[in-house]
Amino acid sequence: MGRPRAFDEDKVVRAAVGLFGSRAYDGVSVDDLVTHLGVHRNSLYKTFGSKRGLYLVALRRHLADDVRPLVDALAAASDAATALRLVTSAGLGLLLLAAAERAPVDQEVAAEVTAALGAVDRAIADALGIPTDLAAALTAAALGILLRGNPDSVGTALSQRLDPLA
Amino acid sequence: MALVRIDGDDLVVVIEGLDKIWALKSSLTIPLANVRGATADPGIAADPKGIRAPGARVPGVITAGTFHLDGEKVFWDVKDPSKTVVVELADERYARLVLQVDDPRATVALVENALS
Repeated sequence: MGRPRAFDEDKVVRAAVGLFGSRAYDGVSVDDLVTHLGVHRNSLYKTFGSKRGLYLVALRRHLADDVRPLVDALAAASDAATALRLVTSAGLGLLLLAAAERAPVDQEVAAEVTAALGAVDRAIADALGIPTDLAAALTAAALGILLRGNPDSVGTALSQRLDPLA
Repeated sequence: MALVRIDGDDLVVVIEGLDKIWALKSSLTIPLANVRGATADPGIAADPKGIRAPGARVPGVITAGTFHLDGEKVFWDVKDPSKTVVVELADERYARLVLQVDDPRATVALVENALS
């Protein structure tokens, strides 16, 4: 469609992951996107259709770049302590904000978030040899610890009580 | 101001009041298949709009009608930039519609939900 793109789409999407992951969807205006991504407004609309269009691309990029490696790393986790530490240190800013802010009002976002968290649950379940429900509880605890600002003592206290899980 | 509604498989934009005189258009009907998305964008009014033909532009008062920018046609109907919604189109006469609506957030949700 029209002229060739005058920007690096990959870099723009990565920058959008950072912006949406730190300021949330509603906190980022199109002016912010134009300023911080270095892309003309017309090009943004032409390439992504809407702010939501860009957001969905950025969310999927975050899942591929940040959640996928976490799932791979979790496969080698030997105990609950390791699994908790991996999840709380993975840089899941956009996933957390998407779950809280957009998933309740956007079915496509909800589906992406559910699938991503399900993949984390299954990775933990497989690695530790525990039921998926219990793994989901661990994931939920890890996300909760993240929301609390990741205080060191909390994860340690929980895993001391839990390990060995299986 | 514009009224945006979904009518079956179409997006219907009705230009209200005297705006239709400035915009030289009273309504637009666009198949949803050609609608790529909608975005609340108060900042677009400060951007260069290109060359108007036909339509009216009194800076600070109204931007209405067809504008040509970077080889694209953009339809404008905006008096109050804070209530601006941008509707991006594909395979239409207009590349995008820049509309003033009563409730930008509701309009964006209406259009985006109709697409997903």
